[in-house]
Amino acid sequence: MAIGDDFGNINELLSNIIKDNTDETAFKWLLKAASADEISKLGQAFVMLPRKTGKTTLRISELQKLRAEEVGIGYVTDWRIDRLARVWLLSVHSFADAEKSHRLIEQLFLAPEMNEAEALYSALPFLAKPETWVKRCAEGIRSNIGSVLESIMENNPYPSKYLNEAAWNQLVLKAFFTEKNISKINGLDERANKQLALTLSDYARERYAAGRQVNPQLWRLAGPFIDGQIFDAIKIGLNNHDRLEHEAIALAISESDYEPAKAYISQIPELSTLSK
Amino acid sequence: MCCSNSIERDKATMGEPEAFDISAVKGMNFFDPHVHMTSRTTDDYQAMADAGVVALIEPAFWLGQPRTGLDSFRDYYSSLIGWERFRSSQFGIKHYCTIGLNSREANNEALAEQVMEILPLFIYKEGVVGIGEVGFDDQTAAEEKYYRLQLELAKEAGLPVQIHTPHRDKKKGTQRSMDIALEHGLDPYQIIIDHNNEETVKEVLDRGFFAAFTIYPFTKMGNERMVEIVKQYGSERIMVNSAADWGISDPLAVPKTAALMKLKGISDADIELVTYRNAITAFAQSGQIDEADFTVPKNIDQTEKFEGNTILRGGQQPRTDKSSIIIS
Repeated sequence: MAIGDDFGNINELLSNIIKDNTDETAFKWLLKAASADEISKLGQAFVMLPRKTGKTTLRISELQKLRAEEVGIGYVTDWRIDRLARVWLLSVHSFADAEKSHRLIEQLFLAPEMNEAEALYSALPFLAKPETWVKRCAEGIRSNIGSVLESIMENNPYPSKYLNEAAWNQLVLKAFFTEKNISKINGLDERANKQLALTLSDYARERYAAGRQVNPQLWRLAGPFIDGQIFDAIKIGLNNHDRLEHEAIALAISESDYEPAKAYISQIPELSTLSK
Repeated sequence: MCCSNSIERDKATMGEPEAFDISAVKGMNFFDPHVHMTSRTTDDYQAMADAGVVALIEPAFWLGQPRTGLDSFRDYYSSLIGWERFRSSQFGIKHYCTIGLNSREANNEALAEQVMEILPLFIYKEGVVGIGEVGFDDQTAAEEKYYRLQLELAKEAGLPVQIHTPHRDKKKGTQRSMDIALEHGLDPYQIIIDHNNEETVKEVLDRGFFAAFTIYPFTKMGNERMVEIVKQYGSERIMVNSAADWGISDPLAVPKTAALMKLKGISDADIELVTYRNAITAFAQSGQIDEADFTVPKNIDQTEKFEGNTILRGGQQPRTDKSSIIIS
């Protein structure tokens, strides 16, 4: 999805949802804020926004939900009004004047309160020239604040579309490390790669050595890249007692054409059917 | 200092300490309206949460040595609304802050000018419940200048002001702080005069300000003295805080003082006012405190599961057993 190709529709949908979730005064204030010319006014509006909109969870009509899904942003319907309105505000400004808004958004990134930071990272796919925010997004992955990481990693189409391989791999590894909801990472399978598979299998070995479990979903990313090194880690995993993990490994091997692994798993009766 | 002190001798002169028994105030909620968590460890957060502290205010202050550039101020303010707030949430404690240029660093005028320029970017942020801590240290002309400018800022933003009163020449400094605030047309009910003692409390209350007391060993109030103050002046517009920081201080000062009050026969209603309610009343005038944020049952998020994954919403920290020799 690229918002830029569909800005008109998405802008209309978002303002429609915002209108249904704010009172008249707040909505007027937002419209005025979005058309502000001075950067400092817009920045202040971004900061003060929850005082006007409140922070309730969105009420969404069936039609709105459907339309959001059609344009690939169904996830925004789970946001609170303050995050949606902040993202909308930045998006509108960015498509009106990409360079000016770039300067503003850089400033906002300098000292964001936590909810602001979440809104800023959520806004990245909604900005004009999204490719100019790659470094900022990669920097965000270094955050240690759980909810900020979630706003980058979970239900955000930006990273998989724009990050280079090193930054992407860092995102996925950190998501496992910080126990994020892996199923919510966009583009996980599409961007699976050998280097990431090796790093994750090393990570699994470290966890095993410490007597800890690994998230079985890790193996899904290793499947197509299984080699001798990854196979060594897999064998340790199969010696553990976690049934779910055994199944995940068997499924991973089914994605692989590494013969020694296939032969090994076929010796384990309860897993051999899964690995085919 | 180092060589004239002896732990053994200290123990001998102080006697065996009386243990803090939390059971006297078990189940009570506390609000510490002045504590510098930046300078404390995660163990302190855990202990505060265990003792019933549900919310706190971290005023912007002097970090123990002067900052030399604007970016240090920006990063510090930013940490109060970002990292520190997150750290606190991991222990289920709601973290608010006040933002201001402290009196000591107001004396570096070149830097103070720049700091004044970035303050408006921070005071409208969520969870910023006042301008603070501002006021006098040495009572210099520069301190007065930036104190006045920040009072104007508070007036414009409709925010409460948390006023630090000086260690030296305290009584005069306190009076002067109040005089100037009134001169700028601020409502005393929006102003919290901090670090009071027996000498300052009467005038502060008589003139309609909130009076905060810092329970801080050796240099400020002890909590036995605090009990006497509540007995004498009652509980209206009085609040206690720990002001715990990088010095010898106690992040449990608020619950400990509540426990001592309970043992000394002060009513539960009065204890609640001075260790919880009055602070909320004063700082909620900012419009930034929603009591529901910290009165909901704790751990509700910790057990939430989604698609088999534990979602550590707000990322509450798992507990470790400190008494065990095993670290796993």
